[in-house]
Amino acid sequence: MNIVVEGSEDYGNEIYAELFERILIDLGLTNRVEGAKLLIYPEKHLFVVSVRMRRARQALKIPEMADLSERDGATYIAIRNESYAPPLLALLWKLFGRERIEQLSRLEILAHGIPISRLENLELNPGEELRKEVLDAIWRLLPEGFKVRRNLIADDVMTVISTEHEMQDEFMKIGEALHREMVQGLNLETEKRSYLGEDEMDV
Amino acid sequence: MRWMYEVLMFDGGVYRVNELYELVEDIGGFIIQKTQIQVMITVTMAIPSEDRGAIEAKARELGGKLVEVPLAGTEIVVVGPTLGRHHMPHPICDIAEHLRRYGAITVVMGLARGKGRQTAQISADEKAFIEEFDAAVFVLGNFADCIVKDKIRLFEKIEIPVAVVCGPEIPSLPFCEALVTGVGRKVERMRRAEEIAKLEETARAVQKIIQQKRKEIEEDPLFVHPAEVKQRIETLDYVKESLRPAPIVLHLDGLRVKVPYDKAREDICNLDVFDRKLCDIATITPSRLGGSTLIKIMTKSQVETRTTLSLN
Repeated sequence: MNIVVEGSEDYGNEIYAELFERILIDLGLTNRVEGAKLLIYPEKHLFVVSVRMRRARQALKIPEMADLSERDGATYIAIRNESYAPPLLALLWKLFGRERIEQLSRLEILAHGIPISRLENLELNPGEELRKEVLDAIWRLLPEGFKVRRNLIADDVMTVISTEHEMQDEFMKIGEALHREMVQGLNLETEKRSYLGEDEMDV
Repeated sequence: MRWMYEVLMFDGGVYRVNELYELVEDIGGFIIQKTQIQVMITVTMAIPSEDRGAIEAKARELGGKLVEVPLAGTEIVVVGPTLGRHHMPHPICDIAEHLRRYGAITVVMGLARGKGRQTAQISADEKAFIEEFDAAVFVLGNFADCIVKDKIRLFEKIEIPVAVVCGPEIPSLPFCEALVTGVGRKVERMRRAEEIAKLEETARAVQKIIQQKRKEIEEDPLFVHPAEVKQRIETLDYVKESLRPAPIVLHLDGLRVKVPYDKAREDICNLDVFDRKLCDIATITPSRLGGSTLIKIMTKSQVETRTTLSLN
């Protein structure tokens, strides 16, 4: 994982690269994030974080990970792959409520009053989960006062542009340029280019 | 010279420790705090400087050791811009904990609206609360531009000594008495050797500003040392019954008593201190720290002026 920081203060750049790495370690995301680029210009009130994630597992339908059968008006779900158990349970609780979803054991779930036909086409999307976790990491990193934020989200890249007051067009353009290049596969090991241009770097 | 006290901590066993208490009383000193853990005990005491030799000899005889606690008898507030996870608990709590090792009582505080740059602010109430302490440590972030241009507003008008701890190397900063750089924002405890060195540096900086404040007080000494007042307040029943940790906290120029002002005002006021009522030689006010009373002892010259005026 490579974290590249571009900004106007060397000390802050170094510390923020370390901070982001620590936050990703704390959240257990180091293996799921390929790299990140940060633009930090405190004097312009601009902080941009762009993160490229590794490909998450493909979306799966419930019958691909569990056996479904009918039992006295309820659907009995026997999970085959344990790693899907927590997200599946969370999804069912969210959709049908805790009263109707009973967890019988580690790998068995009973869905009261829910026919198989309603469960067959449900999808678990681990990519969505990863995006939420990465967004949480970015929010932990961004300065607390930079509350005006815009998110740019692609399949495997997430960019957050933040500032303290109103979001300016210039900031959006900078963020969008970075986001585009991250999507196109910006090489974080060799990347040195400034997004604000030489003149503005001296602010 | 009633006020020339030195604060030391005895670290040893409980066996014959009463002899130490008696000696401290005989030489005119005071016990500030006792913390007993099974058969071990630490005793913080204020003793007249010239009798230090006698206390050292007694500590040796009892098989304990004497530790310098340069911040004993002070209460220090460590302030962060907010209580959010961006600023708390690290490194603010590490700094507060390290200052405790030098004898200070510390309080950690987060401002309500201290986040951001231009939006960072401190309220009059927060400022008044901070000014009840002997010194304040402001812990700020990683960007020099942000600290120099905006965050200085947070401590600009604070009227007690301020030490600022921040990340970037800034040669100097206005409105503060001490500056420690190289700490900044962290998401984990300060455990590495270089981080502990920074904590030490912070403690030294705070000691320096406390020392300076002590010198200023010595120029126009207090009528009575706060430890002497503490000894009298301890006799009050509801202070004895108080379950709050450290019900009486010493300040350089007074005390904080953790009993409600309305309840305690009269009794505290009528305490006898060298044939005077306490309220004649100190100002007693409610503290902004909930359910507490603040006592500020007047200087000798203030008491004399007051006495002269009342005689006329």
